[in-house]
Amino acid sequence: MEESPEQSEPPPILLQALTSTAAALCLATALVHVLLVFLHVAPTNSLSQQYSRQVNAWVHPLFEQNWRLFAPDPESVNRQISVRTKHTAPDGATRVSRWFDLTAVDNSAVKHNPFPSHTAQNMLRRAWSSYLETHGDDDQPRSQRALMTQQYLTNIASKRVAAHRGGNFGAIQLRVVTLPIAAPAPAGGPAPAAAAPRPAETRYLPWWKVKADSHGN
Amino acid sequence: METERLPAPHPRAAERAAARAPHRAPDRRHAGLGVLTERPVSLYAAAVLRIGYGLVYLVFLLREFPHRDEIWGPGSPWTPELARQLLDQTGWVSILTLSDDRAYFEACYALAVCVSALFALGWRTRAVSVLFAVVVVSFHGRAIFMTDGGDNLILLMTVYLVFTACGRRWSLDARRTRLRASAAATAAEAKSHHLPVGGKAGGLRHHLRASRRTLTAVLHNCGMLVIAAQVCFVYGSAGLYKVQGGSWGNGTALHYALNLDLFRPWPGLSLMADEHDLLIAIACYLTVLLQVAFPFVLFGRLKYPVLTMLLGMHLGIAVLMGLPLFSGAMIIADAVFLPDRFYRALGRLWRRMVRRAGSGKTTDAPRPPRALVPAQSEPAG
Repeated sequence: MEESPEQSEPPPILLQALTSTAAALCLATALVHVLLVFLHVAPTNSLSQQYSRQVNAWVHPLFEQNWRLFAPDPESVNRQISVRTKHTAPDGATRVSRWFDLTAVDNSAVKHNPFPSHTAQNMLRRAWSSYLETHGDDDQPRSQRALMTQQYLTNIASKRVAAHRGGNFGAIQLRVVTLPIAAPAPAGGPAPAAAAPRPAETRYLPWWKVKADSHGN
Repeated sequence: METERLPAPHPRAAERAAARAPHRAPDRRHAGLGVLTERPVSLYAAAVLRIGYGLVYLVFLLREFPHRDEIWGPGSPWTPELARQLLDQTGWVSILTLSDDRAYFEACYALAVCVSALFALGWRTRAVSVLFAVVVVSFHGRAIFMTDGGDNLILLMTVYLVFTACGRRWSLDARRTRLRASAAATAAEAKSHHLPVGGKAGGLRHHLRASRRTLTAVLHNCGMLVIAAQVCFVYGSAGLYKVQGGSWGNGTALHYALNLDLFRPWPGLSLMADEHDLLIAIACYLTVLLQVAFPFVLFGRLKYPVLTMLLGMHLGIAVLMGLPLFSGAMIIADAVFLPDRFYRALGRLWRRMVRRAGSGKTTDAPRPPRALVPAQSEPAG
């Protein structure tokens, strides 16, 4: 690298001013960014409520984040999602298939795998949780986003069931069984009766129509 | 990048500027910005982040190779149409939704693999870091419903790294700079004297280079500040939210976490850990304590044991919960808090080990004469 020639003259004022301004701008932007991201990730407080518009405008979409990792509490249920298909023959007779356990496929893909795929750990899990977020308990889509997540779930289920047993079907139905994880046995004794698991809940979703080409066959 | 040069200024402007200059004190510091502008800090940590996230993303892409179409491709259940709809709603951008053609997607995937590898290697780092950010933003936005906390952290860090001089150490760029510097030194010795570009235009060019160096340093330092703050936010908010949960308070949270089927690759191991109630309770408290305390221990010696415990925690998560990608992203983020002298010692240890391993064999390429890497005199890396 060439060393600078002996400079006794100071840098020109304009250049110095520009450099200082740019440096100050960098620093200010960094500090504002840190502040707004803080307000975005921190639990809701009066400051973040007051400035929610500015915070959202800055943070969305690129810097959106949520670090509620296993918080406030980790999930205390396992969800088992199954799908069945319905085929309507030209004469109007319908044939409904057996249930196909989608979650079991994911679980077996995770088991004994040191590096499970996102398709097993995240795809169905997150599709279902965003369905829960966008729909009430009555399965009525009330927003564009709700329709999109419903379409997504339909696509996942129909692609997977079609890949598993092929098929020609016009509609699918999902069944979600929520299996609570038993509370830990109290210390001092096995006492399995005290830690009896809560009962499982089963939710049947409505039949959803499947577009002819959406399951990829 | 070394290759870019600022355009030579107009000579008359330089004269005018020079004529105006003399009445200013020569050694004036930019008030208040002293530390920030003098030199880029933590260049080794920045390099570790670059290598780490480049490699993690490369491994991620290769791991999902069999599922690439299902996650990011035109055959995904999150169809290109749905993705475009969501991107429009959120204002995100992705190169992957520009075309539904399978060949276009394969080309993007290949590009992503190459860019991740080049970024880890530190080749033309500033330009490649922008490309890497474009790749990560695109792949993340295309499959937003496939992502978890690890992906989110990688995304943020990738964007922040664009602003840092993360290619100055442990990179192909650094190697090239070193070789060029030693070649220049040899040439200068041969000529026995070298004349700088004389005159006032040369002076202004020097000043421009100096202010560019300053700005690069400021940008880098701001980037590192934001990265450090971001890591504190991750731990701080994860801890604050856990404090609100009952199961972390009564020490049973990890019992539930260990019983989630999707995060239990080794059921026997999880069961074994689950049987130790006391251990689980201690681990619960320690997790919350470490996370909440994290931002406060960074400024003292205490950070070394805390970082070590966090490393252990993340290794545990990687194995027990089958989340190596998430854990890798977190471990790399933690590495930003280790000082340069730690990494220099690590580098010395590495070289000694390589030398010892190499001395056994006969074919060790002769190393080029090492010139000190100038921290300041190289242009923006």
